Amino acid sequence: MSEQETTIEDRNFRRYQWFVRTTALAIAIGLLWGGSVAVPALSPFIALAAWLATRTFRVLTVLGLVVTVIVLVHPRWFCRWLCPLGLCAEGASRLGRRWGRRPRKSTPLGQWILWLTLGGALFGWPLLLWLDPLVIFAGLFGLTTLRSVPAACLTTLPALAVLLLSLAWPHIWCGQLCPLGALQDLLSHPGRRWHKRAVSTSDSGLPLARRAILGAAVGAASASALRLTGTAATRPLRPPGAIAKPEFLTVCVRCGNCIRVCPTRIIEPDLGRHGLTSLMSPVLHFQNGYCREDCTRCTRVCPSGALTPLTRKFKRRVRIGLPQVDMNVCLLGEDRECSECRRWCPYDAIRYVFSETEYCLIPQIDPAKCNGCGACEMACPVKPKKAIVVVPLG
Amino acid sequence: MDKRMNRRECLRALGLSGLVGGVGLLGSRSAQAQRVGESSGFQSSIIAGRKIEANRGNATLAGGKVIQPRRELPILHETDVLVVGAGPAGVTAAIAARRSGARVAMVERYGHFGGLWTGGLVLLILGHIVEGRKQVCQGIGEEIMRRLDKIDGAIVDRRPGVNPTADAEAVKYVMLEMIEEAGVEVFLHCWGVDTILDGSTVRGAVFESKSGRQAILAKAVVDATGDGDVFAAAGAEFAHCSHNVGLVSRIGNLDRIDKGRVQEGAKPRRLGSHTPVPGVNWVNLTGPEVDGLDIKTLTRMEMNHRKFIWKNMQRTRRLPGYEKVYLMETAPQIGVRITRVLNGVNRVQLSDLKAVTQFPDVVGVGGSTNGQHGPWQIPYGALVPAKVDGVLASGRCISMNLDMADLVRLIPNCFVTGHAAGVAAAVSVEQNCQPRDVDVTKVQKILKQQEAYLG
Repeated sequence: MSEQETTIEDRNFRRYQWFVRTTALAIAIGLLWGGSVAVPALSPFIALAAWLATRTFRVLTVLGLVVTVIVLVHPRWFCRWLCPLGLCAEGASRLGRRWGRRPRKSTPLGQWILWLTLGGALFGWPLLLWLDPLVIFAGLFGLTTLRSVPAACLTTLPALAVLLLSLAWPHIWCGQLCPLGALQDLLSHPGRRWHKRAVSTSDSGLPLARRAILGAAVGAASASALRLTGTAATRPLRPPGAIAKPEFLTVCVRCGNCIRVCPTRIIEPDLGRHGLTSLMSPVLHFQNGYCREDCTRCTRVCPSGALTPLTRKFKRRVRIGLPQVDMNVCLLGEDRECSECRRWCPYDAIRYVFSETEYCLIPQIDPAKCNGCGACEMACPVKPKKAIVVVPLG
Repeated sequence: MDKRMNRRECLRALGLSGLVGGVGLLGSRSAQAQRVGESSGFQSSIIAGRKIEANRGNATLAGGKVIQPRRELPILHETDVLVVGAGPAGVTAAIAARRSGARVAMVERYGHFGGLWTGGLVLLILGHIVEGRKQVCQGIGEEIMRRLDKIDGAIVDRRPGVNPTADAEAVKYVMLEMIEEAGVEVFLHCWGVDTILDGSTVRGAVFESKSGRQAILAKAVVDATGDGDVFAAAGAEFAHCSHNVGLVSRIGNLDRIDKGRVQEGAKPRRLGSHTPVPGVNWVNLTGPEVDGLDIKTLTRMEMNHRKFIWKNMQRTRRLPGYEKVYLMETAPQIGVRITRVLNGVNRVQLSDLKAVTQFPDVVGVGGSTNGQHGPWQIPYGALVPAKVDGVLASGRCISMNLDMADLVRLIPNCFVTGHAAGVAAAVSVEQNCQPRDVDVTKVQKILKQQEAYLG
């Protein structure tokens, strides 16, 4: 496409496209800024991988399906018209070109990411799902929603990496790295010759079918290996409805939706306290708030199914953890006046029982009533270490 | 003036009796001693002889049952507002009612003011603050604390957002001073036992003392007994609740712990919290959840707690370095927390605290132990019994859901409800109406004039 030969229609069309894309970007920014959760759910990549991994259908998946249908008809429709990260990457690429950087032909890593993730997803571990462009874009808004500065910086890192890559090697993200782009290519040419070696891209030269099988196999093998190695040493507290399996670590795409919608701001991204695999995944902190008995928002906004949607009634019985009392620091052990945990418990699960031997009251938790909402931990006035702390089950 | 006269008379009597004694005229001495309440100049003298009278109104044993016959009671006093109980709520109510222009009488079971704050040795003032360290306990309660501020060694930790600790004797003194300044008629060592009813309206109270059973007539009664003895006797509806019954003690010589000999990991528990007196701590005891109205239970609690406190102190003293620590005193009053809870026109409840409910008839704002909750409004209806007239509740027995019991019973919140009940009782007398019909806006106006905080 040489610039001189563009007709007026072409120019008009490009203006129109430019207008739509900037509008889409503005809308995405607005939505994410306002705390909306629909943006990551638009991705067919997330919809597909999450469905493979969890085998459950979610309401939010409909958004991804709609995009999928359109993409089947119009190749790379999403990239051309909607993708906010794509527009940012393109801007960076243009800047890069102006500075004299040239595009670099290399292996279409996006396809490998796609196959690896889908293969892993079959075994419950969608390994690289977090490289979805919408998730990366949503990460930019960590700064507006997260209170912890290191976490906010960390969520923006992938997006910054994409921009820097695009500056260095223009168009590398959209053309070669983006797994969503690779998925769209695949969807729009279902009838392409799978056995033929790719001509246009100078990849490893493997036919598509072999690439798919190899990638998926590697993904599946890694997923199986992960499954065998078992859980991390310290399992953190997850939001209610979190899938109990260790697969949570990769089904969760770290989009930050749950963190954004939590009204009591008890969900925070893990900054590596529970191992590198858990990095940026949502963990609960009951220092300043608890999981409210009238709220199920986080479970309804998860685009990947890491959190199962709950009803309020059912949430009552979904256990996040169980509180444990340390009588060495509990005020009742020193006979000080305190009934905070009992007063705050929304489920009336705490009783103070007098111990004749200790001659003081000891808080007792009824596991049948308690769902680990953390109200007691929030209410505990002991500082800095709370006397009653919700710990994960098992 | 009276006292000086008495002293002069006394001196004269002394001189006279000495003289008389010397001369040997014994007749004049016995004439002096006949006047009740005056010194004869000797260490003891006969005030009156005892004559056995028929039909004295004793309880009699008839057919295996003990029968108390009807009898007329002497009326000791008549007043506008009668306050039963002189704890934090009662003292505040009496002062508030008096300052609102009513004549006030107050009866108290013990010989001092302050109730569980002083007699119960619960020295820590918990519950005067809310979120953001704001102090919601103002008015007379704050005035008491300000007076304590001026006395050396009477109160410590008087900083924003911190719970102060007072000295029991200083509190007793300050309350006495304020009661006297206000001009409240006080009857100590009087245990309010019954109400005088006119239909369903309380017209005073009957109390028992060393002077026997007597009555005080009043136009309005404030129940500051804590246990709701007055409204219960009047037939008001209430919930009979159990709560923890403990016994507080004070320990001394904590400044003489030999720190060099204290072993790591062998630190004793229950050394309590500091008081304004150096080296002295007050030690709380929560105790089991029991019925604080059952006399057998109370006796058992008192005895068990005393045994435990003594033995625990002996254990502490056996630890290296702690040999000089000793048990100064156990509280004269057992620590009963919640017994009767009024069923009132309205009630204080946790859901309102969480929802930050605003009541049009707010008469006070409650605080929380460490200021961990927001301010919660106390509606006037929580002090008014649902059915009985002529009586207002104050202190820990006001109308509430039990989920609020541990906030309502705190000392500053008792100041707040006492203040409101005292003013409302005075307004009901002035307006010549029942407490339930008083003009609450007027009550609110007077409360604000008396520097109470209503939100």
